[in-house]
Amino acid sequence: MTGRLYPVIQTGAFILLALILCSLIFAAVGLSATETLRAILDGAFFRPNALSYILRWGLPLLITAVGVVISFRAGYFNIGAQGQFYLGAICAAFAAEWLRGSPAFVAVPACLLAGMAGGALWALWPALLRVKAGADEVITTMMGNFIAAQILVHVTSGPLKDPSGSGQQASSRPIEAAWRISDSSGSSLIIIAIAALVVLLGWWLVNRTSFGILSGLAGRNPVMVTWQGAKVQRIAISAFVLSGALAGLAGSVELMGPNGRLASGFLPDHGFTAILIALVAGMSVIAAAFIALFFGALTSSGLWLPVMTGLPSSAIDIINASIALFITAKAGVFRGLLIRLRR
Amino acid sequence: MNPDHLLRGAGALAPALIADAVTVRYGDVTALSKVCARFEPGRIHAVLGQNGAGKTTFARVAAGLVPPAEGLVAVFGRQLAGGDVAEARRAGVELVHQSFALPPSFTVAEVLQFVGPISGLFTKRGIECHWQAWLDSLGLGLDAGARIRDLPIEMQQSAEIARAMVSEARLLILDEPTAVLSPEGTERLFARVRELKRKGVTVMLVLHKIREVLAIADTVTVLRGGELIAGPLEARDLTSEGLAELIIGDGAARLDAGDRAALVGAAVGQHDNHSLPDAPPALVLNGVSTAASSGGKGLNKVDLTIRAGEIVGIAGVEGNGQRELVAAIAGLDPLTAGEILLADRRMDRAPLAARRDAGLRVIPFERNVEGLSLSSPLWENWSAAQLVAGSLLAPVRPRALRSAAEKAFKAWDVRFNDAAQIAGSLSGGNAQKVILSREMDSGARLILAAQPTRGLDIGATMAVWKALRHARNNHAGILLVSSDLDELFDICDRIVVMVSGRAVAEFTSPWDLQAVGRAMTDAGKQIVEEATP
Repeated sequence: MTGRLYPVIQTGAFILLALILCSLIFAAVGLSATETLRAILDGAFFRPNALSYILRWGLPLLITAVGVVISFRAGYFNIGAQGQFYLGAICAAFAAEWLRGSPAFVAVPACLLAGMAGGALWALWPALLRVKAGADEVITTMMGNFIAAQILVHVTSGPLKDPSGSGQQASSRPIEAAWRISDSSGSSLIIIAIAALVVLLGWWLVNRTSFGILSGLAGRNPVMVTWQGAKVQRIAISAFVLSGALAGLAGSVELMGPNGRLASGFLPDHGFTAILIALVAGMSVIAAAFIALFFGALTSSGLWLPVMTGLPSSAIDIINASIALFITAKAGVFRGLLIRLRR
Repeated sequence: MNPDHLLRGAGALAPALIADAVTVRYGDVTALSKVCARFEPGRIHAVLGQNGAGKTTFARVAAGLVPPAEGLVAVFGRQLAGGDVAEARRAGVELVHQSFALPPSFTVAEVLQFVGPISGLFTKRGIECHWQAWLDSLGLGLDAGARIRDLPIEMQQSAEIARAMVSEARLLILDEPTAVLSPEGTERLFARVRELKRKGVTVMLVLHKIREVLAIADTVTVLRGGELIAGPLEARDLTSEGLAELIIGDGAARLDAGDRAALVGAAVGQHDNHSLPDAPPALVLNGVSTAASSGGKGLNKVDLTIRAGEIVGIAGVEGNGQRELVAAIAGLDPLTAGEILLADRRMDRAPLAARRDAGLRVIPFERNVEGLSLSSPLWENWSAAQLVAGSLLAPVRPRALRSAAEKAFKAWDVRFNDAAQIAGSLSGGNAQKVILSREMDSGARLILAAQPTRGLDIGATMAVWKALRHARNNHAGILLVSSDLDELFDICDRIVVMVSGRAVAEFTSPWDLQAVGRAMTDAGKQIVEEATP
């Protein structure tokens, strides 16, 4: 059992170290370290309705992070979750526009599926460039993020623009009220069910299927899997597409749930936090689920801090960054990346 | 012991090398344990032993590259602290490693000019003239203007030796220099070594074949399991049988005479030919060619038939198409011409998974890269072949796979604690047994065994040979690639020699070492002549 607990303890220790580093930074800029930390933890875990805020931010993060874990495990550094998340929201918004008037039991699944398809497509082209032309997916998926952000600006101020919308904020028409899978508070049984399903299926895929075992082997040594006769290209494309589909699903959940409309600049940047979550979680889907909720709590705290305590919300960014620093220092993931770059 | 006493008499007559109770540890592993030896100057000293005996470690500690954990090393009366190349060079010792490290784009003259401190201005012709004269005086047979990457292996090794001699080394250490050479190349190397000896250089050769040791050495030192077993003994007093027992130890008597001789390179083994002319072919290659790659020239119209129940060896100096041959049969290198039949089915374009389905198994060249994923659990490594055969979405029961893997490992006598431990935690021999347990199942019809015993100790080598013979007796066809002719002679039924991607000659028992050696080199010359009319 100690063998299983060890990574948990290690990760906990890293987060603790990160918090200590943060307090030093807070102290250096003249804030009281203890008060700041307490405020952050209050905002994350102890304010009224803390659980519902954790779920609101944690569940979309969780869905995205499971996808990132799948691609990292297979040895592909899909850091385009943010772009795939945008494309998911965009495609779901198009679907919602086309399906106006249809009943919710048709429209909601259709929009969610459209979101998954959008995310999957946005992961497919870097995957094809990788396996057919050897283009490094770190570069292509990162570029994909920028392009996706511009597509979002374009559709919200062009094809999907709400004609009645006023002012500076370009956005789409609101989703039909009956289709919303949560109110703007952002947590609901449907979203919990979707997230639970993602964790279950993700865990099954990674631990109980041929794909899971072979992609794990390929992630560590693609040459060996090739000599075993595996179709490494097919594994790679599947991992990319699954990862993109889940990011896209998270995007459509944001759209159909808390956001209710597509607005440029107002979608959260779950994609980047999800990469951090996947790194902290190692290669485990279950760990990613718990850690996503933890980061969901931090995110909600970041929005609460400036309102309630006058502390800057960037305090949370500092925490995220320090955790990333400690985790990447030990992560074999990055060692693998370096080895591949050298080749 | 008092070092002053040991070092007394430093100067012209000081021993070339003194090792006094030298112990070297790598982490928890003791690679050398209390080794004492004294090598007199002006002679050729051989250090002999099996893989894992500590030969290379001894060479490195003697050359001052590795600091001893305990004990003392002195070269020509100067004690070496170890870990400092400059210090070792001043003392007059140089080591030529097993793997070569000269910059491929340099010419020989440039290498020699720029290994030491660089000063002044040079012209290309100037340094070439200067170093050509120097090379000729050493009798190394090198062209100073040739680029390293254009040189055959044997000449690259000469260039390494020349590089080592630039600093006027008085003790030259060669680590397994014959491992990459053909028999004739070995003879030429020995001629060069004798020439160096005539010029007053002391040479220490790390070898593992008794035949070679008896051909060249003045003294022999035998290591086993990191300990000094005997030596330095005067070579003229030694017999092949006596040395074999020193190298192998207590187990020597239990080994089959042919295997024992092959293990220590004592004499050319002879054995019965098991090939059955009527047996169905397990593999047929007709005029197979592949495209040249960065690593080599590719295959050139290779015809080869392997029948069920025979072991066919592929002999040749490394880099003559052996890797391309294995990759082509495995379906990882596309053919540019010709056809491949596995068990009478055309498989020219079939993916490896389909070929595995038809009974192909591969023990690849690079155990730790192509054979295993070192950072993955053992059971995943073991079950990969099975999983590949099914669909990607096929459900998997890890517990069942783990216990199946454990059962297979026990049957193959793999020393492991837990099927969940990572493959990288196993020794080379155990890692190879994991690969054997995966690749040599009852469904195997054609087994490609590429250098399956490289780097393995006696026990693991014997396990591999036993497994190959067992598979042969179960009517599998086996293709054995090895750069060790003794291994091929001991277990093959036929031997095909490869040169420059061609199958140039075929031999059957009784083996003729000279004839095989000639085929490895003469055919090469012929091909070069054809290419340059």
